[in-house]
Amino acid sequence: MALLEVENLTIGYQSQKGFLKAVEGVSFSLDKGRSFGFVGESGCGKTTLGMALMRLLPPNGRIEGGRIFFDGKDLLEKTDEEMRKVRWQEIAMIFQAAMNALNPVHRVIDQITEAIHTHTPSHNKDEVYEQVRALFKFVGLPEDRMRDYPHQYSGGMKQRAIIAMALACRPKLIIADEPTTALDVIVQDQILEETKSLQREFGISIIYISHDISIVADICHDIGVMYAGQLVEYGAREEVFDNPVHHYTEALLSSYPTLTGEKSQLMPIPGEAPNLINPPFGCRFSDRCTEARVSCRSNPPVWLEITPTHKVFCHQCGKHCGE
Amino acid sequence: MSEESIDKKPLQKFRWISRFHAGWAVFKQSLFGKIGLTLLTFFALMALCSFIPPLVNPMYQPMAGVDPEISTVTGPSMRHWLGTDFMGRDLLSQLLAGARIAFMVGVSAAFMSVFLGTTVGMIAGYMGKFVDTFLMRLADIVMVMPALVVLLMLAALFGQLNIWFIVFFIALFRWPGVSRVIRAQTLSLKHRPFIEAARVAGASHLRIIFRHIMPNVLPLSFLYMTFQVTSAIIIEAALAFLGFGDPRTVSWGMMLQWVWKTGNMFKAPYWLLPPGICISLITLSFYMLGRAMDEVLDPRLRKEWKTG
Amino acid sequence: MDHGEETILELDRIVKKYRTKAFLFGARGQEVIALNEISIKVTRGEIFGLVGESGSGKTTAGRLIVRLEQPGEGKIYLDDHDITSLKGKASKAYSRRVQMIFQDPYQSLNPQLSIFDTISEPLIIHKIGNTKAKEDAVWQTMKSIGLSPPHDFAHRYPHQLSGGQRQRVAIARAMVLNPEFVVADEPTSMLDASMSAQIFNILLEMRKKLNVSFLFITHSLAAARYLCDRIAVIYRGNVVEVGPGDEVIENPKHPYTQALIDALPKFRYSGDKKRYQTLIRAERRVPEHAGCPFFSRCKRADPIKCSREKPPLMRLGDSHSVACFYAEPGIKTSSGDNA
Repeated sequence: MALLEVENLTIGYQSQKGFLKAVEGVSFSLDKGRSFGFVGESGCGKTTLGMALMRLLPPNGRIEGGRIFFDGKDLLEKTDEEMRKVRWQEIAMIFQAAMNALNPVHRVIDQITEAIHTHTPSHNKDEVYEQVRALFKFVGLPEDRMRDYPHQYSGGMKQRAIIAMALACRPKLIIADEPTTALDVIVQDQILEETKSLQREFGISIIYISHDISIVADICHDIGVMYAGQLVEYGAREEVFDNPVHHYTEALLSSYPTLTGEKSQLMPIPGEAPNLINPPFGCRFSDRCTEARVSCRSNPPVWLEITPTHKVFCHQCGKHCGE
Repeated sequence: MSEESIDKKPLQKFRWISRFHAGWAVFKQSLFGKIGLTLLTFFALMALCSFIPPLVNPMYQPMAGVDPEISTVTGPSMRHWLGTDFMGRDLLSQLLAGARIAFMVGVSAAFMSVFLGTTVGMIAGYMGKFVDTFLMRLADIVMVMPALVVLLMLAALFGQLNIWFIVFFIALFRWPGVSRVIRAQTLSLKHRPFIEAARVAGASHLRIIFRHIMPNVLPLSFLYMTFQVTSAIIIEAALAFLGFGDPRTVSWGMMLQWVWKTGNMFKAPYWLLPPGICISLITLSFYMLGRAMDEVLDPRLRKEWKTG
Repeated sequence: MDHGEETILELDRIVKKYRTKAFLFGARGQEVIALNEISIKVTRGEIFGLVGESGSGKTTAGRLIVRLEQPGEGKIYLDDHDITSLKGKASKAYSRRVQMIFQDPYQSLNPQLSIFDTISEPLIIHKIGNTKAKEDAVWQTMKSIGLSPPHDFAHRYPHQLSGGQRQRVAIARAMVLNPEFVVADEPTSMLDASMSAQIFNILLEMRKKLNVSFLFITHSLAAARYLCDRIAVIYRGNVVEVGPGDEVIENPKHPYTQALIDALPKFRYSGDKKRYQTLIRAERRVPEHAGCPFFSRCKRADPIKCSREKPPLMRLGDSHSVACFYAEPGIKTSSGDNA
């Protein structure tokens, strides 16, 4: 059975101008020990999705429909108190710019210790200390820096400390939202390598949210492409990147400059993402799609199967399906 | 190929109108704002109404209109809705005139002090170094001086003070507070990329201060103006109460002074309470307005929404 | 390489130091060397990429060029004129020829000015033309940047535009004066891929149509590869490698450049093996300011030579220079030379 199964999740925000449907009808599943990456541009709903999985939406956000099955139990049916127990012990989250989440007036070791203590008060002080030491070692932080304050850490070190905090209670799932954006390329690479080895070592499942496809392609087993609040394509990473079917995925891939291969002209996607307060009824990408037909605008797309693991939300997949 | 040139005036109109609408939408939601605005409207009407009584009947002149039939303190009656004071003057017309004075003093003093404070704050914040140190030390000196005491000394020296003199001096004592806040805001703006972009484009310091910094600190200035109004009204009331106000004007503070001086404080509540309540309420309403404006002007409300 | 091609901008042995705030009374703050004698030459009509990570000094170099800050030592030349210490009118005249596109589109536009006001501001500052001429210039610039139809955007405010549109306004503001040289400081780092692509294409078009020269500052080698004719890699205030874009990326010679290329996530999940592997696992401890800036992390380094001598830029082949003693066997040391 999958560790996480999301069915038809719809999330919205109440705004002055109306009800904004940030995420609509997203379904996917994640097995134990696998990583799933969500890519899309800003405004596509991926951050909202991540926050909703932990039920950490801001006050004006609401989960309108759908189910989130974690370890067989529906998270949406849990009370606040129950969710508090689930958070951090079973699901941990690394937010965007998380390194600013470290409290500057407390030592790093104290913050991690507190995180452990809050969720597993049964352990005694020495056990906890040993745990933290082990964590530091795993994330590559030098032990002699444990008693430092956050401002004495570099950006990369702070990020590692945040990862250590997320791992502190041995969660089954980590949701990471752009954890490496503010970091240098070399540090980012080191952290991604460590993430991969941690995953292998602890068997943790990871949901990785990013606008940078190259990172997601590097560390995720499966990829989901989001556009305007909807999942438009998902599959194993080889399938999605070597064989992108949805025209948005194709367009997205061809708007990134590459380091290798031939230098073709970057094709920006014309137009703008649709307004999510009144999204179009038909395909939301249709007015920017080069292959759009009249029917695309008037009818909502359907899920088409390319392979049993590779699916696309579109009306026509042409040469890619056997249809 | 020539383009039809766009008239600049419609651009200006657009700007203020759309901003006003956006601001009003936020303002409407604030309870404080609604209460404050209602109260202020009430007082404004009072002030306007203060022009009516003298027209009706010279007897209702606040200062001089003495009722020939009454020459002592009397309670509310059909003739005089709030009663009369120790000289037989109508209290209601005095109250209305007081509203007028309160607005006049409050708004003028606030405007002057904010004008001065904003200019000084911007220059100090932007120029930095010596100019900044000099201006801020000056502000410190002024701030430390006890305004009321100095005014009392001046009153003792020059006899009774003219109301505009009082307004001027209130402004003179109140600008440092504003300048500090504006200076802080300027300091934070100074290093923002759009200011650097103006420098790179070749703008002179003066242009940067007045074209780029000023529009961004003005909302804060307006906000402070509402707070300054309250303190100006209170200072004027205090001065009047202590007997150092302008004897030719009738303000609420003056009324309080008369009630006290003539020993009627506990004997004539209809005389004591109205001006006291009015002072409290008007300052409260300006304060509430300021709080609501704070929400309107808070940049967090202006940013677009990131839903990620 | 220098024959017949005009150098529009030159940085000659620029040094820029900062002193961090003193912690205790009397104790002086630490000195940070942002730029340690860098020299760069940009030819007219070229897009020159300055690639480095945060803290490398690349943004500082850009700021020195537009005169937001002054160098401690060294000189800057625009078209062979020494502009290092211009004042007054000359300084203002300089701003007509050299402009900057800032990194953060959310902060580089005055929120109180309309789009029209923002773009016309440089024209007003330099008193160019009458009202009608200014308007025409603004419309024309807006159209060439893709903010069409201009009337739609003119009366709007920055908070009503998307990040990509705001950045285009920033570009329009920089270009309205028809400058000769533009510093683009990470113009796309805060934008999505699709908007970035648009911006890149706009820059390429500007260069083609107006022969403007660009200094493109970025942390992305891939973007530099797409956009730039030549690339300089900067590390901790030192230019460590310079050469034609494709050459530097396909054939990097400096261990830092190689480490950068190793570290970049590739589109295709490549195998775990890195191509160059020039980094050592734990950093060596070194005294500051001595020797090669990359010594503390370099696998290839000689413990004696590299910790004491700072390698100058040495010419490798045609217009490709590296600052490393061991970039290639038998490398010639003609110090101070750069491509």
